[in-house]
Amino acid sequence: MSAAATAQGPDQSRRGTTFAATTLLVPILLINAIGFMLPVANLAVISVSEIRSSGAMTGGWSIAKWTTVATDPFYWELLANTVRTSLIVTILTLIVSYPIALCLHRMSGAWKSILLVLVISPLLLSSVVRTYGWIAILSDRGLVNSALAALGAQEPLRLMFNQNGVIIGLTEILMPYMILALLAGFGRLDPRVEEAAATLGAPPYRVFWRVVLPLSLPGVALGSLLTFVLAISSFITPKLLGGGRVFLLATEVYDQAIVTLDWPLAATLSIIVLVVFGLALAVYTRILRQIG
Amino acid sequence: MKRRTFVAATTSLIVAPWINRASAQQPVTINVMAYTGLFQDRYTAAVVEPFMRANPGIRVNYSPLPNSAAMIGQLRAQRAAPQVDVVILDVTVAKVGTDEGIFSRLDATAIPEINELYPNARFPNVGGVAVTFDNLVMIYNTDAVKPPPTSLLDMATAAMRGRVAIPGLPDIQGMSLVMILDKLNGGPGVEGRFAKGIEAMAPIAPNVQTWEPRPDVYAPIINGQAAIGIGWNARAQVNADTSNGKLAALIPKEGTVFQINVINQVQGAPQAQAAQRFISYALSAPAQKAFTESMFYAPTNAKAEIAPSAIDRTAVKFLDRVVPVDWIAVAGVRDQIMDQWRRRVIPLSR
Repeated sequence: MSAAATAQGPDQSRRGTTFAATTLLVPILLINAIGFMLPVANLAVISVSEIRSSGAMTGGWSIAKWTTVATDPFYWELLANTVRTSLIVTILTLIVSYPIALCLHRMSGAWKSILLVLVISPLLLSSVVRTYGWIAILSDRGLVNSALAALGAQEPLRLMFNQNGVIIGLTEILMPYMILALLAGFGRLDPRVEEAAATLGAPPYRVFWRVVLPLSLPGVALGSLLTFVLAISSFITPKLLGGGRVFLLATEVYDQAIVTLDWPLAATLSIIVLVVFGLALAVYTRILRQIG
Repeated sequence: MKRRTFVAATTSLIVAPWINRASAQQPVTINVMAYTGLFQDRYTAAVVEPFMRANPGIRVNYSPLPNSAAMIGQLRAQRAAPQVDVVILDVTVAKVGTDEGIFSRLDATAIPEINELYPNARFPNVGGVAVTFDNLVMIYNTDAVKPPPTSLLDMATAAMRGRVAIPGLPDIQGMSLVMILDKLNGGPGVEGRFAKGIEAMAPIAPNVQTWEPRPDVYAPIINGQAAIGIGWNARAQVNADTSNGKLAALIPKEGTVFQINVINQVQGAPQAQAAQRFISYALSAPAQKAFTESMFYAPTNAKAEIAPSAIDRTAVKFLDRVVPVDWIAVAGVRDQIMDQWRRRVIPLSR
């Protein structure tokens, strides 16, 4: 009798814990179902909806848009260009942000707080406003070209309304996210480990290469994932700075949904963006596992 | 029993006037969805406010959206329970709304003003009727372009390299440009998928600074970022006035095409009668006159007597230069034109 009671005790307690955990998960599961799963399911339904050439939805079903996307080289080029541009932006953002984040990590006191606020403050402004700021800087008569003209340049540099403009704009706009992610990842950096390496005779570049960089890799991976995902889904900056010459998945989704009214094609491309997100997340998880 | 009847009758006689007055004072609100920005400002002043003054029992709530596709998106979402009564949008999108059963067919017996419209303001497969005509114009910065341009090919000169702003496809301004060039070069139009027009973009494309001028095509030309481009007449005329002549607009010698906005009643509109009364007013000669004189859209009501100073700034006096376009047929081949645009025009401007 008492042995049975002892056996029932842990069982009941485990069941209670499972019940409590499930109950606690219900709100987030509901939010996720309503805010994410249902819209994604709706996207999937729209992507196989039939549409007339005028843009009218007939109420029927068709996989025409999936076939178009799979067979038209334009969409493969679009996907490749989107991934390439997002990777370039991610790498450039990392290169520019890493020293700033490291410097901030090593600072202390009031200066650290002031500089941190300065780094984050661009997030208080809409990316539309910041992009218009870049138009003022990069245009043919902007700050850069005016300075070059003053130095004797005959022709303005084409810094805007092309791929260059999109990359410059996105890099600056995504820097705060990368810096914050790097700062979060720098938690494992212990100054005593660097001191130990230096005491053992390692020059500064080797300390950085063998100690600082490996320890900051989780932050680098997190920042890169975040920046890549944000770059791939950006459409305001590519729209404003691309001049209609830079075709990306997000801008194409916008054009199909808002200008040409081809919702099934817009939904198909949105699902492809989602698949790219999923792949990026899988790569991130794998990298994390490899760096321990 | 008799006493109770007497009390009820007396009470109703006393109370009824107050109830009637209260319901009479309760205005009906209709939601009118149309373009935001300049259109909203001018349409509200020229049409919506005079309508409300003439119909004190009806309040108009103007719901602004940036473009026709955004409007149809909202209407699709509200299909089960429409919140909007009247919509003004582009004719190609109006056709989509009609095909999907979002718009009801306007009836000339309920809205007699429909009989006063020009014949090209009615369309066989569209529920609504035209409420404004606009047309494509060349726009230029008067300080930067001297002498004034006369031809679309003035955008192809060496002096204009990197100074041209064109809202490219899928925007219908770019589409209009291709259609005019197609006609100029002897293209068959829809049947030929405007291939001649696409070909004729070759000398212009390398000069294009942006195919996506923002916030619209007029601002970069006024501020000197670009020098020349194409736009819609109505907005160009208003921008010419507000920029103190920095921007000017003209119909090029190659011609122009009409853009048509259609007024529609939403199927199952919550306030159908009031909506019809508004549509009636919007199509009437006084409303058409007021809006044309305010924003230079050409009127669709043949009886509207427009002041010469306003009518001279519309395409009405240049009807011989208007290239006829069947927008509904164009929408049917849009994907193929877009495909050619991406492959043959955009690469020339990189």
